[in-house]
Amino acid sequence: MIQFSINGQLVKEDKIDPNWTVLRYLRTKIALPATKEGCAGGDCGACSILMVEQDDSGVVSFQAMNACIALLGSIDGKSIITVEGLSTEGQLHPVQTAMVEHHGSQCGFCTPGIVASLAALYQNKIANKSGSAVTEHDIYQALSGNLCRCTGYRPIIEAAKAMGQYPGPSATAAISATPVVQFDPIAQQECRDGHLKASIDYEGRKLFVPESEDQLKLILKQHPNATLWAGGTDLGLEITQMFKQFEIIICLHKIKTLTEVTETEHAMKFGAMVSYTDSETHLAKHFPSFAMLIDRIAAVQIRNLGTLGGNVANASPIGDTPPVFMALEARVELSSSEGVREVAIDDFFTGYKQTAMNKGEYLSALIVPKLLSNQHLHVFKVSKRKEDDISAVLMAVRLDNKDGKIANARIACGGMAATPLRAEKTEASLNGADFALESFERAAQQIKHDYSPILDVRATPEYRLNVASNLIIKTGLQLFSPEVLVAQTNSVQGGH
Amino acid sequence: MSYMSSKFDSYEDRRKRPAKGKSGKSMMHESAEKHVTGDAIYVDDMAELAGTLHVAVGQSTKAHANIISMDLSAVRLADGVIDVVMIDDIPGETDIGPVFKGDPLFADGKVEFIGQPLFAVAAHSFEQAKRAVKLAKVEYQVLPAILEVKDALKENFFVRPTHSMQKGDFAAAIKKAPNTLSGELYVKGQEHFYLEGQVSYVVPTEDRGMKVFTSSQHPTEVQKLIAEVLDIPINYVQVEVRRMGGGFGGKETQAAPWACMASLLAHRLRCPIKIRLSRADDMVMTGKRHDFYNTYTIGFDDSGKLMGADIMVAGKCGYSPDLSDAIVDRAMFHSDNAYNMQDTRVVGHRCKTHTVSNTAFRGFGGPQGTVIAEYIIDDVARAVGRDPLDIRKENLYQDGDKTHYGQLIENYHMKELIEQLEHECEYRKRRDEITVFNNANVYKKRGIALTPVKFGISFTVQHLNQAGALVHIYTDGSVHLNHGGTEMGQGLFTKVAQVVANEFDIDLDMVQVSSTNTEKVPNTSPTAASSGTDLNGKAAQNACIILKGRLIDFACEKWVIKEDAVRFENNHVVITKNDNEEWIGFGPFVEMAYQNRVSLSTTGFYKTPKIHYDRATATGRPFFYYALGAACSEVEIDTLTGEYEMLRTDIIQDVGKSLNPVIDIGQIEGAYVQGMGWLTTEELNWDDNGRLASNAPATYKIPTAADMPKIFNTSLFHRANAEDTIYNSKAVGEPPLMLGMAAWLALRDAAASVGNYKVNPPLDTPATPERVLNAVMYCQENS
Repeated sequence: MIQFSINGQLVKEDKIDPNWTVLRYLRTKIALPATKEGCAGGDCGACSILMVEQDDSGVVSFQAMNACIALLGSIDGKSIITVEGLSTEGQLHPVQTAMVEHHGSQCGFCTPGIVASLAALYQNKIANKSGSAVTEHDIYQALSGNLCRCTGYRPIIEAAKAMGQYPGPSATAAISATPVVQFDPIAQQECRDGHLKASIDYEGRKLFVPESEDQLKLILKQHPNATLWAGGTDLGLEITQMFKQFEIIICLHKIKTLTEVTETEHAMKFGAMVSYTDSETHLAKHFPSFAMLIDRIAAVQIRNLGTLGGNVANASPIGDTPPVFMALEARVELSSSEGVREVAIDDFFTGYKQTAMNKGEYLSALIVPKLLSNQHLHVFKVSKRKEDDISAVLMAVRLDNKDGKIANARIACGGMAATPLRAEKTEASLNGADFALESFERAAQQIKHDYSPILDVRATPEYRLNVASNLIIKTGLQLFSPEVLVAQTNSVQGGH
Repeated sequence: MSYMSSKFDSYEDRRKRPAKGKSGKSMMHESAEKHVTGDAIYVDDMAELAGTLHVAVGQSTKAHANIISMDLSAVRLADGVIDVVMIDDIPGETDIGPVFKGDPLFADGKVEFIGQPLFAVAAHSFEQAKRAVKLAKVEYQVLPAILEVKDALKENFFVRPTHSMQKGDFAAAIKKAPNTLSGELYVKGQEHFYLEGQVSYVVPTEDRGMKVFTSSQHPTEVQKLIAEVLDIPINYVQVEVRRMGGGFGGKETQAAPWACMASLLAHRLRCPIKIRLSRADDMVMTGKRHDFYNTYTIGFDDSGKLMGADIMVAGKCGYSPDLSDAIVDRAMFHSDNAYNMQDTRVVGHRCKTHTVSNTAFRGFGGPQGTVIAEYIIDDVARAVGRDPLDIRKENLYQDGDKTHYGQLIENYHMKELIEQLEHECEYRKRRDEITVFNNANVYKKRGIALTPVKFGISFTVQHLNQAGALVHIYTDGSVHLNHGGTEMGQGLFTKVAQVVANEFDIDLDMVQVSSTNTEKVPNTSPTAASSGTDLNGKAAQNACIILKGRLIDFACEKWVIKEDAVRFENNHVVITKNDNEEWIGFGPFVEMAYQNRVSLSTTGFYKTPKIHYDRATATGRPFFYYALGAACSEVEIDTLTGEYEMLRTDIIQDVGKSLNPVIDIGQIEGAYVQGMGWLTTEELNWDDNGRLASNAPATYKIPTAADMPKIFNTSLFHRANAEDTIYNSKAVGEPPLMLGMAAWLALRDAAASVGNYKVNPPLDTPATPERVLNAVMYCQENS
């Protein structure tokens, strides 16, 4: 059995296919149709809902997520709020009032999703009076995963800026009254007792929701071919786009140890289940350019679900973090009932979507050496669209300044080959060269010998090579004359 | 809720204030509150009747092939499957081509694009249907496929005959000109990406008819096609559309096949059927904006004055005619955009390709014609070394000129509009600042462009320019409004309700809008061509005038007064007799009329006057009037990657006397961003086999909030339409889409700065970072 709450209602389910998504459940099982399906791929945001968390001190926080690709099992033990839970008959939520007053809807189909995304922002920043004002950046981030085809967004942005001016949400609306509920302790205990039994067994298809790594190891030993569900932001597509039915799914979200971030003197260790969102502050401390990339990975709804471990284990050539982990010389921690081992990330990716992970193993953590004082990290993402797009080229560069010479250059790219791949000839050209711009201009010529990218929907091979080559130059410019990369004038002003 | 409360104001209070929400006022969308709460019901949100089955469609995997065999036995045996239908199962007409034949509901022995429907499966769940479809075994005999416009042109492979329009002796004019330039431009198509995909819910009726809920801009056509497919009279089919989650032209003809398939299954199984396309199926199986390959030769003098033009536009129509004849015509009608190119020839080809049949999309070919005019101006400006804005202004049409299809230019205040924008957005000052900026920066370059749009309003198919409305007044004075137009977010229902409120001078919330329904107003035109308000507003007004006439007659009789002694004001009917005014609440007055047996229901009708076009001579007045507008955009590009930022956009759009300024501004801003998306990040890509590679929002990138210009000013050009349109307003749906050209040409301007504006970098669209980088590199290599 799994249990979760929707708009303050406790729900227990055990007679349902483990392959059901949250959206399918909302729309077809419990008749909550405000949440829409726009793409079933986590890219349009029409299905946005709020995931509610209450920390030990009782503070409630809200995260927007895509219901379309979230597995129902992945909200076991969680509370969610849909647009139906924002208002009461007599009183709209301030986000809703702002959207009405600013004419933020036209066809209205994306609107519930936009309202959900903005409501998460409102609840975290305004309703709980955290004291931090809602900035324009917050608004763009909150909306980065919501497509609107009608308005051109201007009225939606205005609504977001104004939402704080309206009366707060109704005290009886679910979002205020019952954002989280008490779960049935008996059912919870049953789940624990039966941790090696499936939470759901429906026509032979099983769902496991282990609460510890020990449980996970035992389940994996029994079912080495099980599908491990981390954020599910890519796996979910197999269900919603390919209509695949997984036989055995293990949802990992309840395993606390996998969500931990620890730090030693020389390295940081990220549990595999650390979400992009949660990784950001940790990355910002030691790898600022990596942290800035996080803002450009997918959209906030996906970043709240997607995990670092999932991005690496998925081994997609267009994953954004693997090249950065490669440049950073990260090690991948793999665990199983047999024990724990570490693999250098360079050896982890063995082919298109292939890794060095054995059956029965899972990726438990990523260990990332901190930068030395003479080390530099540069991360670039180039895509057709700034927000929520897959990279045409992702490049990460780490190098040492060793007494005026470049040393230990590690350059890795995504989107340039079937796996994330190092630029060895370019690195060789840099290593030992003067720590100067000319070395980068020279090394940039080597990119075309390192990669033979393909033509795909995102870019031509020529563009990928041109850009990758220019990004090497850009690395040099960032190091030696960063001012030329910033527009030399006051920003555009105007209005009438 | 709060917005409903004025309905309960007493007549005493209502007398003291003007009626709320009449035409001209910025009223919110009639469904705004329902949108934000999720109470607005779309077809897929409707509670399903017991026994509803769900449909998935089997698709061709070859671009051009004969079907040798189709083994569907495994499909039929799959979990949850109840029925499978193919072309032979259709009792009536098998071809659902909307204007010309050529669109079989299911492939008839031959496939002509990847994604063409082969069969449809009904199952207990959508997922079961989707899984079943994959089990089909289809054998093909592959035939050579033509996938590109240029290949079709070489082979004269067309879906409809070529058409040309000509004014004067273009060849002689070009020859005489001191300078000539030739060029070409490839503009890719555009996916509609309405957020709500294609969907229909069909319930069979007791007399073997069909009740159809669909998301369609053209319910009448859906009705007619279902009747034909099922071989039943049209009056057995009722089609209802409450609202669409976006349309943009993509639900004009493209909603029909799915409604027909669902009806076919409902007809066989006698149970309710829902069909909803997954996003990928929708993107692969439904038509898009046409790609166009355009070429030009232009003659001009040393100052940049245009002297003659020879233009070719070739649309990628896909495998069937659909609406392509009219779409390529509209591209031709707009390949002059705002300019008098003097003697001109425009030739338009309708190229056949083995790809999905392209269809209506906001602007309907107009945008693809307009872009070539602006590209020409841009090229000429750099050829003569002048600011493109000057070349634009100096070549504008003047009143009294004629277009290349013989329409007289009247009331053409484009120069005034441009100059107002030029002044308000400080174009000249910013041009100077950009020059300074570009001299100071190597890796960042800025560009600016100010581009006008002149867009012809009317369906170019004359008979479509008609509309009907139905107005009832109930005895409490509340009004029920229905008309042939459909609501897809554009605010049509709100605007037409405002017309009705205005006519009776009653509060807007006394007027209840209702679903478009073929049983209420028959034989309607699609809600398209920006005509929704022009046509339906006038038809509703006509109905109101008829009802007012009856009410006035009644008052004249009862009070023994003349017509001019009765007026409608502040929710009241005011009777003036012997210098006394008697104010009677609208509701009580209507009740009185009812008691006196006055008919309180009528239809209204409208047809657009003055328009005609003779195809044989390629001349006439296809458009009732032109909607005008202009945009100025400034951008910044990165010369190492081609990435860009939209810094600022200013727009002035001529909507005549606006019926609802906020709704009009919403249309303008939305259209601009959609047009900008078409010309910048939205890229349709097809692989060598003719398979659509950009088949999801993961790979097809429409603008996000962050792509909106950082500074975005929109204003209306306040001038009444000289033509007798509804309250002298102008259509607004499509024209501002083309304002997006300013963003594209600003990118080109920024790239050209790299070559000191001496060369014209090619910049096909969409101008993705890749194409912008190529334009930069072109300038670096050629200057």
